[in-house]
Amino acid sequence: MRSVASKLLNGVLLVLGVTFISFLLMVWFGPDQTYTLIGKNASPEQIEDVRRQLGYDQPFWQRYGEYLRELATLDLGASNASGESVRALLARTVPVSLLLMIPGFLLGNLLGIALGLTAARHRGRWGDRVVTVLSVTAMSISFLVVIIAFQVLLSTPYGLDLFPVRGWQVDGFVSYLQYVTVPTLALVFVTVGYNTRFYRALFVEEYGKDHIRTARAFGAPERLILWKHVLKNSMVPIVTRIMFSIPLVVISGSLLLESYFGIPGIGQATFEAITSGDQPVLKAVVGLTAVAFVLIQTATELLYRLLDPRVAR
Amino acid sequence: MNGRVETWSRLKGDPAGVAGLLIVGVFLLLAAGVWAGVLGQGWADASGGRWESPGAEHWFGTNVLGQDIFERSVYSVRTAFEIGLVVAVLSTLLGAALGALSGWYARTWVDGTVMWLKGVLDAIPFYLFVAAVAYALQGRPWAMHLAMVATFWTTTGRLVRAEVLKLRGQDFVRAARTVGLSDARILLRHVLPNTSHILLVQGTLALVAAIKTEVILSFLGLGVQDGVSWGLMLAESTQEVPAGHFANFAAASGMLFALLMGFNLLADALQDAMDPRQASL
Repeated sequence: MRSVASKLLNGVLLVLGVTFISFLLMVWFGPDQTYTLIGKNASPEQIEDVRRQLGYDQPFWQRYGEYLRELATLDLGASNASGESVRALLARTVPVSLLLMIPGFLLGNLLGIALGLTAARHRGRWGDRVVTVLSVTAMSISFLVVIIAFQVLLSTPYGLDLFPVRGWQVDGFVSYLQYVTVPTLALVFVTVGYNTRFYRALFVEEYGKDHIRTARAFGAPERLILWKHVLKNSMVPIVTRIMFSIPLVVISGSLLLESYFGIPGIGQATFEAITSGDQPVLKAVVGLTAVAFVLIQTATELLYRLLDPRVAR
Repeated sequence: MNGRVETWSRLKGDPAGVAGLLIVGVFLLLAAGVWAGVLGQGWADASGGRWESPGAEHWFGTNVLGQDIFERSVYSVRTAFEIGLVVAVLSTLLGAALGALSGWYARTWVDGTVMWLKGVLDAIPFYLFVAAVAYALQGRPWAMHLAMVATFWTTTGRLVRAEVLKLRGQDFVRAARTVGLSDARILLRHVLPNTSHILLVQGTLALVAAIKTEVILSFLGLGVQDGVSWGLMLAESTQEVPAGHFANFAAASGMLFALLMGFNLLADALQDAMDPRQASL
């Protein structure tokens, strides 16, 4: 139980750290918001008033405490650009991003596992070489290039012209498939190289272990070795990788996919906030995703302690 | 260090590694040409009409402003190397320093602080971190470099920490202590040189990551502010491709792919050559 307590303490310290860094960057060092909020020809009293509202007269630690309170209670204020409350903005955009990212995220991992297994089972032979070369090639292509290429090939008259060029007019399953396919293919393409390389290394190590050799020596069928020994024993690193990459792939990926395809998710909202310097939105997104990441990480580690006796030691 | 000769001969025997070296070499020559003022100097001049086709005058055609795409894509080699080298060198040095300190003083407050910092930086989604840094620094051109260095060191740091932890208990370190060498001297002269295989590979990977990241950041408006880069060319091309003008896109993505492929091949080969035990796994 002491290790559980120390994991929790570690999580708390990380939350304090990520919120402190986003506070430093976005609030303390961030540009003065007074004149964004105030019209022209404001009187000195009005300026003073807005500055007090923004808490600029408060000392450093009090403002950090206020930022923590805002994040904890989800009392995030309103966007400077649209006046929409940040909470409503998140509730509107996050589901769209999840719908957009989940298929590609899952397929990218499944394909990576399948290719990694293929390579590991044929290690050093042709299958392995082909998979390795393909994954290095995929790793060398920029996400932006992949997106543009897939759009041209699938959604314009210069290619197959099968899908809408951009946008997100989803009102049912068919239209969902129409709009989600091209971004999904781009996401799978861009993640599969890294995933395959990771899973290949994992499975190569697992196949090389003594108990696998023993099982083979006793004549255990390949299929049994694959499912019962290799995959089952690799579950912890697989789940770790998937859990840990959720916030990163979903946020970073949606930032690029949504701003490129004009999809109204959290990525596009963040992109617009970046370009217009919309501080309330930015500080909420940065703070909340970082906290979510730490929570997922801590929960995953605690879960292992319950599930896998080897981790608890 | 006779390992260096061995590493080199293993690298020469690996066709993928030789290919990587050759590609990187060609690009280095191009970059040197730009630095010397021989190549790509006309990247900003409107030397032709809008969207001219590739030909003898403009090898890769021209863009919407009539600028020569070949000149621009060659000049971008220099931009890529500048960003890649600055970020790779600084983040590797930072990772080596912090990783070595945290491994050497493992399970003390030094280690705790470094590991905490690493955890914090790893928890903030990268592009958001860059956006936050760029936001805080309002248009300073090195905001991008700073953000990449601040986040890229963590992988190197983790690997160096593990290696130093391993080296710390070995006989040669104990001997150095017995002789009375200071901690700083042991770390700098005896421990860190033994992590060079990690630093070289991680440095190459950081270089690849920096060049790739520049492309995304420039598209998002957070990257190169003045000058030209493959990222800016690709951002430009997103307006041109729907209208059927592919020259900008093809030139920038082709050069980008070739350079990244070269570095990736080199990184793999280096890894195998310097750590043959891993390679035979």
